Amino acid sequence: MANLKEVRDRIVSVKNTQQITKAMKMVSAAKLRRAQDAITQMRPYANKLDSMLRNILSNLEGDAGTVFGQERPVERACIVVVTSNRGLCGAFNTNVIKAALAAMEGKFAEVHARGNLTMLFVGKKGNEYFKKRYADSVNIISDYVNLFDDLSFENTRKVATYLMDNFKNGRFDAVEVAYGEFRNAAVQNTVHVPFLPVPKVEAEEGATNNHRADYIFEPSKEGLLSHLVPSILQTQFHKFNLDTQASEHGARMTAMDAATENANDLLRDLKISYNKARQESITNEILEIVGGAAALESA
Amino acid sequence: MNIAVLTPEREIFHGTISSVKVPGVKGEFQVLNNHAPIVSALAEGKVEIVTAAGGYTFFNLEASAKQSGDETGKKMIFQIEGGFIEVLNNEISLLVQGVSQL
Repeated sequence: MANLKEVRDRIVSVKNTQQITKAMKMVSAAKLRRAQDAITQMRPYANKLDSMLRNILSNLEGDAGTVFGQERPVERACIVVVTSNRGLCGAFNTNVIKAALAAMEGKFAEVHARGNLTMLFVGKKGNEYFKKRYADSVNIISDYVNLFDDLSFENTRKVATYLMDNFKNGRFDAVEVAYGEFRNAAVQNTVHVPFLPVPKVEAEEGATNNHRADYIFEPSKEGLLSHLVPSILQTQFHKFNLDTQASEHGARMTAMDAATENANDLLRDLKISYNKARQESITNEILEIVGGAAALESA
Repeated sequence: MNIAVLTPEREIFHGTISSVKVPGVKGEFQVLNNHAPIVSALAEGKVEIVTAAGGYTFFNLEASAKQSGDETGKKMIFQIEGGFIEVLNNEISLLVQGVSQL
């Protein structure tokens, strides 16, 4: 049986840890709410852009080819890895890294073998991981690691524009993004999705009245598309980052909740052994007194 | 007619207006009541909204808070870096980027 003081010290230390995990959970809950707000606030803008695009496509005759939809044989590729800056959020970052690795060893295995793979990192965790292991086989871009310090549209736009420019001038033939898709506080999916070239968007069948209206398009349908597509891509990229941020806090909340629960279990066990140890020492003391008294009597 | 001014970060204006002037890529133009349906890309420049009876809410960038008003004929001007406008049946959607208030 452990000694009384040792058990007492462990109880104190577990309680302290539990306080920290509890506080972290509450902080994450508050931050999660803010991150979710940001996603909700962006939705009307994104939806409107999307409906404009469909509207133009349904009015457009023939194929709507833009420079960002160009499919080329993939000689050079880029994987964007969006992770969090901090740990203690369960398997969240590991999952994003795994998704990136899957793209690297699956789809882009040949590109990687030829040394034409570039990885761009947002968030410190992914950057650290790949820098340590793949610094010599992958071209690593760490310029935007600190994007999460100020996650404004202006800032994410710079990264999206950088990717689009490089796609346009042929430095990348394909761009994929690995990030944490946000479902709700308890569910985050880690996915890697193609970013460039743009997957084809079909004009809606049986377009609503809204789309049938006789619109004036300025400067022209094609000209509008060349404005719209970059905006949509920027918005999409912004959403990847917002999603990852929300997912991170969601994952941390779940992890810290589990840690707090676990501390409770530990405390219960420790309390039982503490009480047992205490009872034992009392029994021992009584035994000594009784034994002493018996010795006196018989003398 | 009604307008909603949206940025990727939030809705910055919503309400009833009598006219809006925007910097189209082919030149500045004004949208009044019963304007024909149009979709246009916008260039860098000033957007000028004139409010009408019916009230409006806007996001004050300086105070970083939502405010509302019901003044008629109030001119609200802000600078944008680019965006899009869609007008249909007196419903205007203005999507803008890089807004700064004047």
